[in-house]
Amino acid sequence: MEVFETPLPGVGSRYEFTTEAGEHLAIVARRDRRRDLVVYDREDPDACRASVELNGEEAAVVVELLGGTKLTERLSDLRHEVEGLAIEWLTMPDHGGLTGRSIGDGRIRTDTGASVVAVLREGQSIPGPGPEFELQAHDVVLVVGAAASVQRAAELLTR
Amino acid sequence: MSPPAALLAASTTGAALLELGGVLVVLAVLGRTARALSLPTIPLYLVAGLLMGEGSAIPLDASSEFIRIAADIGVVLLLLLLGLEYTPAELHHGLRTGWPAGIVDLVANGAPGFLAGLLLGWGPVAAAVLAGVTYISSSGIIARQLLELDRIGNRETPTVLTVLVLEDLAMAVYLPLLGVLLVGAAPADAAVAIATAVAAVVAALLVATRYGRHVNRLLDTGSPELLLLGILGLALLIGGLAERVQVSAAVAAFLVGVALSDQVADRGRELLQPIRDLFSGLFFVFFGLQVDPRTLTPVLVPAAVLAVVGFATKTATGWWAARRDGIAIHGRRRAGLSLVARGEFSVVIAGLAVAAELEPKLGPMAVTYVMLLAVAGSIAMRFADSPALRNLTNRRARQPAR
Repeated sequence: MEVFETPLPGVGSRYEFTTEAGEHLAIVARRDRRRDLVVYDREDPDACRASVELNGEEAAVVVELLGGTKLTERLSDLRHEVEGLAIEWLTMPDHGGLTGRSIGDGRIRTDTGASVVAVLREGQSIPGPGPEFELQAHDVVLVVGAAASVQRAAELLTR
Repeated sequence: MSPPAALLAASTTGAALLELGGVLVVLAVLGRTARALSLPTIPLYLVAGLLMGEGSAIPLDASSEFIRIAADIGVVLLLLLLGLEYTPAELHHGLRTGWPAGIVDLVANGAPGFLAGLLLGWGPVAAAVLAGVTYISSSGIIARQLLELDRIGNRETPTVLTVLVLEDLAMAVYLPLLGVLLVGAAPADAAVAIATAVAAVVAALLVATRYGRHVNRLLDTGSPELLLLGILGLALLIGGLAERVQVSAAVAAFLVGVALSDQVADRGRELLQPIRDLFSGLFFVFFGLQVDPRTLTPVLVPAAVLAVVGFATKTATGWWAARRDGIAIHGRRRAGLSLVARGEFSVVIAGLAVAAELEPKLGPMAVTYVMLLAVAGSIAMRFADSPALRNLTNRRARQPAR
């Protein structure tokens, strides 16, 4: 697949490509880390039929869901195998919760039984963070466990 | 200070604050009106200035000196933020890929103003000023509307942005040249001014690419307050120095903006935007203040004719540039209509000439021209994709080519 990059002065860059099915798509990467997902019109090939603006966190989650790190794929396999397993994506708040503290500080596994299995930060995914891993505002944290445990862990992390 | 003098000082301070507060409240109300009508704010700010000047309903007195200096700062900030907007790589890429469009744009849109100036019997320098006014599009109005209309992802958008980038680079050469022409210097001095300007642009780009990291480290202390003071101070300082040696402060500020890069540029833009809006608002008012509303009627017809021509030549420029970039017919129409809006930089150029008292009709002409094309350009851009215009373009496209 060929991807064409075009600079957008003052905005960022645009990456265009055509899918196998003939759909013409582009991603606009803005300087402030926002992304626009754009689908071009068939009649008017230069106009957007649809344009979706994603903030940094949303873009990170979309990447994950599209299988950027294969994490999601493996997780959904896991969910098929273990009945009652809950998987939750949590965004760290600006203040409060465990923002600015380590995973170990929150004693998540000890107190709730749920586990933090991955953290997404600035488009990077960090699998299996240890107890010393320090969480930052806007990190997206992937928590896995029984439904009630995940619920309690979510409260610990974000409130 | 004896009591009466102290009282007098207190009352002038009070009067200045009262007037300034009144001006800002008027701008806020007009800005809201513009928002509600989805129109740019510049024309309404100019109207505010017209209404508050000499020979008008509400003359300003105590605050006029402050507004004059605020207007100078407004010009510096407009150009500083323009410089911060683009990275050196973007300027370089724009120049490399878009120069034919840049030249077509310059000729097609500068020539009508220049010819009109000569036809009105203004002399070559005033004609060159009018050429600048008719040439330059408003990147402020256009960039904001591209976002509002969700056209950032459109394939013709890079064409539009590249034309704007080239106009900004052209300004960096045009403004110092204009400075020399306005003081009535010889052609040799003009050549030196152009050479100096080009050298300064190259130097700023070099600083940004080679020493950008050092400059950034000096300014970036992690405190927004200190960064704001640092960038603003640097721009005013270098602007002032440039003015001392007869180079425009505006261009110096533009180059300071270009020389700053990365996080300093990104954070600087965020921090300076509200300050730019305040001071540029006062700049538009100040420009309006200098124009007596009664002088507008005689220039109305020539300004309207020039606006119609300027609308057509800009649309043609955008159409041509988009076709060159391989854009299909509807995209060409959008690109053309997106470039029509004139605004802040036309006023900056006219402001320099008005300050030099070059030609009494220039100020009224520029005000009328900018008001007409800021509004018409903004509306044209909004309706560039309307079904009526689509059908019109389709019909033209279906006509057999000769």
